[in-house]
Amino acid sequence: MGSKSTAIHKNKSFLDMMAKFSKDYMSLVAILLIGIVFSFASPYFFSSSNFANILLQSSTVGIVAIGQALLMVTGQVDLSLGYNVCLTGCIFAYTMKFLSWNPYLAIIVALAIGFVIGSANGFLVAYCKLPAFIATLGLQNICKGLSKIITNATPIANLPDEVAFLGRGYVGAIPVCVIIMVLLYILFSFIMRKTRFGRNIYAVGGGREAAFYSGINTKMMIFLSFAIAGLLAAVSGVVLTSRLNSAAITNGNLYEFDAYISAAIGGISLTGGKGKIVGAMFGSIFLITFFNGMTMLNVDPFWQDVLKGVVLIIAIGLDVFRNRRRH
Amino acid sequence: MKDVILELKHITQEFPGVKALDDVSFEIERGKIHALVGENGAGKSTLIKVLAGINVHYQGEVIFEGKKFSAKTPSDAQKYGISVVHQELKLSETLTVAENIFLGNLKMKRGLVDWSGMKKEAREMLDNLGVDLDVDELVEHLSVAKKQVVEICKAMNHNCKVLVMDEPSAVLTDKELDILFHIIDQLVAKGVTIIYISHKMDEIFKLCHNATVLRDGKHIKTMPMKDVTRQQLISLMVGRDMGMEYPKEIIELGENILEVQHLTRPGVFEDISFTLRRGEVLGVSGLVGAGRTEIMQAILGIDKVSGGTILYKGKPMANRNFKQAIQNGIGLVPEDRKLQGLVQIFSVGENICMVNRECTIKGGIISHKLTTEKAKEYVAKLNVATPGIDTEVQYLSGGNQQKVVIAKWLLQDSEVFILDEPTRGIDVGAKSEIYRLINRLVKDGKSVIMISSELPEIIGMSDRVIVIHEGRLAGELNRDELSQEKIMSLCV
Repeated sequence: MGSKSTAIHKNKSFLDMMAKFSKDYMSLVAILLIGIVFSFASPYFFSSSNFANILLQSSTVGIVAIGQALLMVTGQVDLSLGYNVCLTGCIFAYTMKFLSWNPYLAIIVALAIGFVIGSANGFLVAYCKLPAFIATLGLQNICKGLSKIITNATPIANLPDEVAFLGRGYVGAIPVCVIIMVLLYILFSFIMRKTRFGRNIYAVGGGREAAFYSGINTKMMIFLSFAIAGLLAAVSGVVLTSRLNSAAITNGNLYEFDAYISAAIGGISLTGGKGKIVGAMFGSIFLITFFNGMTMLNVDPFWQDVLKGVVLIIAIGLDVFRNRRRH
Repeated sequence: MKDVILELKHITQEFPGVKALDDVSFEIERGKIHALVGENGAGKSTLIKVLAGINVHYQGEVIFEGKKFSAKTPSDAQKYGISVVHQELKLSETLTVAENIFLGNLKMKRGLVDWSGMKKEAREMLDNLGVDLDVDELVEHLSVAKKQVVEICKAMNHNCKVLVMDEPSAVLTDKELDILFHIIDQLVAKGVTIIYISHKMDEIFKLCHNATVLRDGKHIKTMPMKDVTRQQLISLMVGRDMGMEYPKEIIELGENILEVQHLTRPGVFEDISFTLRRGEVLGVSGLVGAGRTEIMQAILGIDKVSGGTILYKGKPMANRNFKQAIQNGIGLVPEDRKLQGLVQIFSVGENICMVNRECTIKGGIISHKLTTEKAKEYVAKLNVATPGIDTEVQYLSGGNQQKVVIAKWLLQDSEVFILDEPTRGIDVGAKSEIYRLINRLVKDGKSVIMISSELPEIIGMSDRVIVIHEGRLAGELNRDELSQEKIMSLCV
C-alpha cells in the first residue's frame, strides 16, 4: 500500500514537472517541434549553417524582446521600439560616416539616444499618466521622422571596418551578435530574478497598488523599464546596422510587434507580473525558425504574414486560456 | 387604516458564510417616507438589492400593491414601480441631462429618436421639481447634487411608485441638502413612497414618518418616528451582546510613540491631533468617508498635508514620504486587502518579503534560501494556514491573507501598525485570530492604530478611541467610557 502510493506520488510529480516545464518553456518545446517538422519537410532546413543563420536573425529581435518583455511584466507596452532601433542605427551610421566620429563614441551616443527615447516614454507614461499605447505611438512617429531626416530616406552603407565584428563577426562558429543576445539574456534573467529592482518590477506588474503600499516606488519602476527597453533597442540598432552594413529607414521595421509576439510566445503574461525573461529569447527564435522553415518550403511571403497573425492569436489565446482556467 | 404599498414577508438571504438577511418582515405605508437604519453590515444594502431586482435568490416574499413582486432584473423592478437611487450614481457621464433621464426608455417618433419631445418632457419634470437645470448640459459637468436630481428624474420617468434612496445625503453639502429635501417633499406630495437610508440622525428625525431598524441581518423594530427618541433609535441600531468575541488583554502602556498635532489637509481633514502610546491599541471610529483613511495616509507620508506636525519617538518627522515612514517603523495594513495588501499572483513567501527585501539580500543579490527561511519563519509564527510558502496568495482564505499582510510588516520590524478595517470580509473565527494577533503585537511592545467601521470591534479591542466626523476630531473616549451609543452619537 505504502509503496504503491509512493509510486503514484512519484508518477504524479514527474508529470507535474513535465507540465510545469512545458508551461514555463512552451516556446522551447514549440521550437523543437517545428524544428523536427521542418527537418523532415525540407532537405535544406537541418544544417548547422541554417541554424547559425536562424540564431543570427533572431539576435536583433531577441534583444528588443528583452525590453518588451520587461515592459510586459510591468503591464506596459512600447510601440516605439522598432523605430528606436532604426533611429539609433541611423545616428550610429551617420556620425561615423559623415561626421567621422570614432566608432566607439558613435556607439555610446547611439545607446544614449536610445536610453533618452525610452526615458521619454517612461516619463510620459509613469509621471504624466499618458496611456502607454499613445505615448509610445507618438515617440514611434517622432523616431520615424527623425530617421528619415537624418538619412534623407537614403541608406547609409559601407560602414567602418572596426564595427563589422558586432554584426558579422564570429567567435569560433558562433556569431558575435548571438553572443551579445545570450549575454544580455543571462544578465537580465539574473537581474529579474535576483535583484531588488527585478522583483519590484514583477511586483508592480502583479499588483500596482499592493506594490505601492509595500513602499515600492511604482512610478520609478515603470520609468526605468521604459528607459531600459529604449537602451536595449539601441543595442539592437547598433548590432543590426553593423550586421547589414547599412542604416536604412526599413531597419527594425515592426520589431516592436515581433518582440511582443516573441515575449507572448515565451510565456510573458499579457496582464503583467508573470513570466521568465528568457522565454522571450526562445519566442524570438521560434518566430524566426517558423519563417525560415516557411521560406525553405517555398511558402508565399504574403501568406507568411497571414500565418504570423495566426501565430500571434494562438500564442495570446493560450495565455488568456491559461489564465481563465485558474479562476 | 394603514395603506400598505410594500410588504416584506420572512425575507432571508444567505451568502456563503453569512446570513445577510434573516427572516425580515415589515410593512411600508404608501406615500410616506420610511427610514431604513442600521450599522454598516446590518443588511440594508442587501435588502435594497432585493427590492431593486439585483438579489433574486432570497427566501420569503415581497408583496407589492397586493401582488407578489418577482423582479428578476433592475428593469423588471422599475416596471413594477420600484426605482433605486444608488449611493454611487449610475449615469452616463458623457450624455446630456435629457438623454440620461430617458436612458433605456428613449422616446421614439416614426422609428427615430424624438429629441424635441424628450427635451420638452425632461424640462417639465425638472420644472415640477423646482430645479433649474439645462436639459442639454452634459452630465459630467454637473455637481453631485444635480446629478442626483437627474437620477431622481430618471427614476420618476419609469412610473416610479416607490423610490429607494441609498444614503443620498452622504455626498451633499448642507445647501444642496435643502434642495434634496425640497424634492423629496414634492415627490411625497405626488404620492410617491420613499425608502430613505441614512446614517444621519438629524435628517431621519426631520424627514421621515416611520423607521425600520435592522441589525445583523435581523429586523429589530418598525415604528413611527414620533414614538422613538434619538437615543432609543441608536440603542436599537447597536445594542448587542459582546461576549468573549473580543479577547482584549489590558497591558501597561509605555511612552508616547506617535504624536500628531494639528494635522490639516484642506477639504479632507482639519486640525487632527492625537497621541499613540507604546503598547496601545488606538481605535479610530467614524463613518465611511469621514476622512479616517486619508489621515493615516498623511501620517504615512503618502498624501501631503498643508499644516501640522508629527512627532515620532519625540522627534519631528520632517520631509515626510512613505518610504521614510516605513523605515522609521510605521507599517500599513491597507483597507483593500486584495488590491492594496497583496500581489495576488505572487507566492506567500514573495509577498511576505516584499517590504523588507534587505533581509533576503546577501552580497547584493536576493537569496532564495534566505527568502524561504524568512517566509517559513513568519508563516509558522503567525500560524498562517497555507499548503506551502510557494502557494499563490490568492488561494488563501481572507483571514490567512490578512496574516500574510501583517507578516510583511512584522518582518520589516515595524513598531506602529496602522490597520485599516483589518477584519473586513473575514469570517468570525478568523476574526478572533486577528484580534489575538493584535494582542500579541502590543504585548511585544508594538503599537496599533485600528480603523474600523464595526463598533463592537472598536469597543472590544481598543484602549482608547478617537472619533472622526467629516474630517474633524469629534471626540476621544477612554476604554472605561466606551459605549456604542457614545461613539455613534459622535459619528453622526
